Amino acid sequence: MNWVAIVFFALGVVFAVMGNLGVLIFPDVYTRLQASSTCATTSVFSVFIACMIVSGWTAMTGKIIVITLFFFLTNPISSHIIARYAWVSGIVPWRRSYGARTALREHYDD
Amino acid sequence: MGMTAVIDAMIYFFVATTVVGIIRVLIGPTTADRMTGLNLVSAQILAVLVLYAVREGRVAYLDVALVYDIFGFIGILAMARYFTKRAGPA
Amino acid sequence: MSARTWWTAVRLGITAAYLMAGWLLFTWDLGARSLLLGLFYCLLVAAISFPIFVEEHDAARRAHFPRVHVLGAYLLVLVYSMYVASFKVLWQIVRGRINPGVVHFRTRLRTDIARVALTSSITMTPGTITLLLDDDHLIVHWLDARTRHSRYAGSLIAGRFERLLRRVWA
Repeated sequence: MNWVAIVFFALGVVFAVMGNLGVLIFPDVYTRLQASSTCATTSVFSVFIACMIVSGWTAMTGKIIVITLFFFLTNPISSHIIARYAWVSGIVPWRRSYGARTALREHYDD
Repeated sequence: MGMTAVIDAMIYFFVATTVVGIIRVLIGPTTADRMTGLNLVSAQILAVLVLYAVREGRVAYLDVALVYDIFGFIGILAMARYFTKRAGPA
Repeated sequence: MSARTWWTAVRLGITAAYLMAGWLLFTWDLGARSLLLGLFYCLLVAAISFPIFVEEHDAARRAHFPRVHVLGAYLLVLVYSMYVASFKVLWQIVRGRINPGVVHFRTRLRTDIARVALTSSITMTPGTITLLLDDDHLIVHWLDARTRHSRYAGSLIAGRFERLLRRVWA
């Protein structure tokens, strides 16, 4: 049992749960993208780190590092492209002061 | 109780959380919402593929994960381009 | 041989070198057959795609050869700030009170690749997403918009990245 790997797996689980929760309950596209970047970036990155620690100093670790670098390259760009598509197609961002203030309270009983 | 059990648990966990992304793809009010869900699903499936490769201890499975990542990226790119064109000049 | 022809050849060479690095990373194989095959396809793809990969006006030497040690430090800073921002977003999701806003600011980075790296870094740290990059003008969606003041928001969101990126490229 490798406790550092366990810690990183736990971080991955926590971020994935909260990110998915955010994607379900947030009010509009942009905030959902923020939550999804929490999950899809940080959680998956933690899992990759844990996988590197588990597999030790082998060829597999080198390959996982390549995948991590490529993931760092592609994932923000695809998020940015979705956000730019939403912005260009004219979706107005949700604001707290625009009367939609109760949208989140339904879920939380604030 | 070894590392294999932990990795198995992680695989089942990520397969379960993928359902949330699928729900967002199904109910998303706008096209951008559906694309967000697809992006999320693609990232989590990538994590599952890497975990499976580490569990089996085969480097060849990691190539699948790499190609899957590339195709997910190109898919999002193509979708954004296609829908932007259909909506008219931006 | 005119300067323009020479610059075209250099652009082709730079593109092929980057493609070859990617080929070596992906195949993880140093056999002669793999190297020759990779070289052939790298030159083929580079001949098709070098006008897009290296713009003709983009002739600064630093734009194509980054300072690698600063780039490594930058990646560490990026990972650290990614975790910090993730915990902030986590707290906001748990508390259920978000205050999103859109801010505009300008960056002082000169080269295109540094601007793209800045955009990717802003999008990668949870809590901020770049909506549009137009030359040096960025539109950023911010999950916890503490200010609408352009310059202050820019220094809060991108200040640390910008200082390091100016040393990597440019």
